[in-house]
Amino acid sequence: MKSDLDLKVSHDGLRWIAANGDISASGRSLPELDADLAGALRRAGYSAGTRLRVFMGFDMTTLPEWTRQYAPHYFNRCVDVEV
Amino acid sequence: MNGVNRKWYSGMTTQEDWWAVWLGLFMFTLGLLSVSGIDAVGWQMKVSMWSDISKGIVPSGKAYAGLGPWGSLFATYVVWGVLFGVGASFMGQNVVKFLIGFTVIWGIAVFSWVVGEAAVIGAPASAWKKYGITWGLQLGEASYILCLVFGLIIGNFIKPLAEFLKDAAKPEWFIKTAIVYLGIKIGEMSLNAAGYALDIAIAGACATFVAYLLFWPIIYVIARRWFSLPRQWAAVLCSGISICGVSAAIATAGAIRAKPIIPAMISILIIIYAMVELVVLPGFYTWVAPHDPVVNGAAMGMTVKTDGADAAAGAVLDSMMRALPHGQNWVEGSILAASIMTKIWIDIFIGVWAFILALIWVYKVERQPGQSHVPVSEVWFRFPKFVIGYLFCWFFIMAFGAIVPDLVKPAMAGWKVVSGPMRNMLFMMCFVAMGCITDFSKLRGLGRLALLYAIGLVFVIAPIAYFVAWLFHHGMMPPTVS
Repeated sequence: MKSDLDLKVSHDGLRWIAANGDISASGRSLPELDADLAGALRRAGYSAGTRLRVFMGFDMTTLPEWTRQYAPHYFNRCVDVEV
Repeated sequence: MNGVNRKWYSGMTTQEDWWAVWLGLFMFTLGLLSVSGIDAVGWQMKVSMWSDISKGIVPSGKAYAGLGPWGSLFATYVVWGVLFGVGASFMGQNVVKFLIGFTVIWGIAVFSWVVGEAAVIGAPASAWKKYGITWGLQLGEASYILCLVFGLIIGNFIKPLAEFLKDAAKPEWFIKTAIVYLGIKIGEMSLNAAGYALDIAIAGACATFVAYLLFWPIIYVIARRWFSLPRQWAAVLCSGISICGVSAAIATAGAIRAKPIIPAMISILIIIYAMVELVVLPGFYTWVAPHDPVVNGAAMGMTVKTDGADAAAGAVLDSMMRALPHGQNWVEGSILAASIMTKIWIDIFIGVWAFILALIWVYKVERQPGQSHVPVSEVWFRFPKFVIGYLFCWFFIMAFGAIVPDLVKPAMAGWKVVSGPMRNMLFMMCFVAMGCITDFSKLRGLGRLALLYAIGLVFVIAPIAYFVAWLFHHGMMPPTVS
């Protein structure tokens, strides 16, 4: 799936975190994360009103190591964000 | 992005699932070289039933007879150590630590294999004369049980060692590689007993479909109504107990975007219950239905969760049922094949099932004003890749038999080493590893979930699975040794 921006998603036990080194957003739920992402993009210099398709790939290292042998994929999602 | 499945080829060099395919096809190809007279797999150690231990271990191929038992043992250790070590290195593991752990697990597996094949332990009374013994325990192939017992002792009583071994305790990697080799067995059955292979494949698919439609909604309703579990917990637990264990729980949790703690906790529960199922069910099925081997095998595939535990249970059932007086001519591995076939279908469907769940969750349950999309590529990322290796071996052998039937016999000389001693060794390593990661004390604190799991298993999954298996497989019998 084509995207304008790729982020890695993880979970720290309380919050979902989407980041790529330049941009970082977080939220207790995925809708909260998406809302915070719009602000994070603004802070990163994207101009207001810009529409982006953001790819979020789950960072498998978030899951305990021993479980990864059973399933190597958690989820990917694509979100259309208006800055 | 490391650790993220972005492209269709993501994980091909970094995931156990793909490494099962590579190791599987590598040995499959080496086995095929026997058509040109090259024995590239005969160094593999083989354990036969023994009364004189010096005759217990032999190289699999005559060309390697000069190696003797110790040479064959050493060659087997070195080759597999190197292969798994390379895989572990690509997966970013500490290779030295992995290899030390691998050595311990391999050593326990081989020790159990040799001890379990002692005639006084496994030989039926009818074979005592052949082995020159006058008494015996008649336990059949006790090696699997010994592997499990040693693994469980480590996992529950020698926890520092279990912790140290956890990098190498990869039951899924070992068993998925072994299941690719089982594709050779089913390919061989397709040539020699085409009806049986086709029957278990079709009946397995139907049974899986029916089981899916029954298990999941029933358990979900129980979880929500009686146990008041939150929606996400109920869905993840449902998939874990109803479909294929840990992989289904993780796939479902991902599909419904559950917090990672949910599948992590439920996975602990699944692993522990799978161990209980694997210990109890083979003996129970053999006892209650000694004349329905294929029904028993298929029911096992639908009931026992995780590929490793199912394969283990199937292998134990296979050896128990073939030890019965009327089962001694059944082809080795044919009951196991029924068990694995059902599980393979279940595994194949999990990607599609999780995708459907993801659509329902994103577009219905947690509907947000129009932004989130579920990429179709999710189906591929969740597809169990080792199945590709299994199906490749199976269909390659069928095509090979149809195109060059004269070469089947020489090819089988190599392939039988792969689907025989190599597969057996990996099964045993899986059992040891599975025991090492099963810690029954982790059940503490999981009270309500554990109770739901037990109720679901005993009153829903096991009886329905058996009924569905009986419906589709009743009357089918394994092929017999000609």
